[in-house]
Amino acid sequence: MPDDLLIQAEAVTKTYHAGNVAVPALRGVSLTVGAGEFLALVGPSGSGKTTFLNLVGALDTPTSGALTVFGRDVARLGKGERAELRLHALGFVFQAYNLVPVLTARENVEFVLELQGMGAERRTRAEEVLAQLGLVDLADRRPNELSGGQQQRVAVARAVASKPRLVLADEPTANLDGENAETLIELMRTLNREQGITFLFSTHDPRVVRHARRIITLEDGLVARDEPHTPETAHA
Amino acid sequence: MKLSIASRYAWRSLLRHRRRTFLSVAGIAIGCAVCLFVVGFVRGEGEMMLRAAAASGAGHLRIAPPGWRETGENRLRLDPWEDLLALAAETPGVTVATPHARAEALLAMGTRTAGVSLVGVDPAREPQANRLVQRVTEGRYLAPGETGTTVIGHALADRLGVGVDDLLMVTTSGQGGEMGSAMLKVVGIVSTGSRLLDDTFCQVSLADVAQLTGYEGVGDITLLVDDPQRRLDAIRQRLAARIGQRAEVLGWQEVVPELAAGTEVDATWSRLIVGVITLVVFFGIASAQLAAALERRREFAVLSALGMKRGRMVGIMLTEGLLLGSIGGLLALLVGASLTYLSATYGIDFSGMYHGADMGISNILIDPIMYSDFGWWLVPLALLLSLGATMLSSLYPAWYAVRTDPAEALRVDQ
Repeated sequence: MPDDLLIQAEAVTKTYHAGNVAVPALRGVSLTVGAGEFLALVGPSGSGKTTFLNLVGALDTPTSGALTVFGRDVARLGKGERAELRLHALGFVFQAYNLVPVLTARENVEFVLELQGMGAERRTRAEEVLAQLGLVDLADRRPNELSGGQQQRVAVARAVASKPRLVLADEPTANLDGENAETLIELMRTLNREQGITFLFSTHDPRVVRHARRIITLEDGLVARDEPHTPETAHA
Repeated sequence: MKLSIASRYAWRSLLRHRRRTFLSVAGIAIGCAVCLFVVGFVRGEGEMMLRAAAASGAGHLRIAPPGWRETGENRLRLDPWEDLLALAAETPGVTVATPHARAEALLAMGTRTAGVSLVGVDPAREPQANRLVQRVTEGRYLAPGETGTTVIGHALADRLGVGVDDLLMVTTSGQGGEMGSAMLKVVGIVSTGSRLLDDTFCQVSLADVAQLTGYEGVGDITLLVDDPQRRLDAIRQRLAARIGQRAEVLGWQEVVPELAAGTEVDATWSRLIVGVITLVVFFGIASAQLAAALERRREFAVLSALGMKRGRMVGIMLTEGLLLGSIGGLLALLVGASLTYLSATYGIDFSGMYHGADMGISNILIDPIMYSDFGWWLVPLALLLSLGATMLSSLYPAWYAVRTDPAEALRVDQ
């Protein structure tokens, strides 16, 4: 697998079980994602977007098929190895922000760096990232003192603070109004452009999709379309 | 020193539900404080029984002839008792060594009789080992070298209708089973404070017991030692090694087993109480911590998604337990030590519970006011109980937290 190929999925399936009923979420997804991409995963609810992100994020393992992330077969990794992969190579942005409510914005960002074993310099690094995202003045606020847009920007700061090569974002703008959604997607594009971080995000939001450079459409657990896209500028 | 983010997270998580945390801490504090008080009381009781046994003539240790422990036979004699007495007296840590010879006897005055356990003593040494003989309220105590005299208890004197300078007839069984009788002059009457003890108290000289029974020598040597709480076992072992097969060295528990059994029963109850309270605290904290873990299921899933490993997650839950236990333990120490200090200083009066009855067991006079033991031992015990209970009770919630499947938790809660 070449260095610039971050994800390689071949006939990946995932089936959940609700009692005795098997519910297929993915029915044979095959695709690759290269370094530096800004890729949108679109499709109706239940098409398998979140399931695919969970598999790529090593939160879950495929039922069948081969899924390789950073050259490592996710199905063969133990829980500890998957946690290691998430900690050092991946960043997550969730739809509901999911900041730790009892920690300030700075501490939320610092927490990931502490988990990585970073010492006293983690505070400097956290402030640096918060500054890049225009959050310096909000660093000492707790999540309940921030607006939804501000919380999601802190979540992005938390995701990129450890300099991951790949950030997975599940419906990152779903809870944001138009202006905040635009600001967030522009922020992600800037990080993609300037720091080379690869973004793979699921979305329903056409405001987000128009910024993607590649769009993969999932339908009924299968890749329906995989096509390049010319992104629009932020305020076009 | 700055706290790690994980520690801050643990601490602030406890503050999320202040009422629950307050109740948890209060539960730990009250439970552990009660445990400290109970343990302090039973330790104090044990020390009091030891002192009571020693002061009532049973001593801390007793040198007895081989076979006495099994039979309790008063006719057995130490041989050679003078050597054993000298050896005991010069053993480091032994403060008093006094010989005894005992016999069952019948006292008579006119038509009145009373069965007693006659104790032959060395009048020069006995007052150092037995505080009861210092309570002579009429007449005097036995004088060294004199024979044919006795000191009896106040209740016994009343029963026989005798007073100081009266003559009593004493009858015992001799070596060959024949009756041996003599006249004893009452030189003193003792009031111990216990009618039970006063009713059986009868001391004479060693020579009188030998003359009445035909058995020369002494039946046992009673010893008091310095700092018995800490040194009793060591002194006993040292003495036993020096004496060898010639005699046995017994502890007070073997000499007065009824008293030791009572103390052991109380100690067992206290262990049971401490165990039950610790279990209640354990399940209370486990329940509260599990509720906290259930509420934070999604948070644990997010932390797991961010790469937090299982060990770290367990560490956070245990840190929360440690914080709860530390605060609860300190409060328990404050409350428990205060209660123990009060009962160690002023005592708890149990005389009302006995409705005027005696507090005497096996010729041992028990003080009805019990005092707890107060000391530094309270600190490690408070921390051991509180931290032990909270850390152990945090293990199940920690196990629950690490078992949270992040994908499922995020999917279900979305």
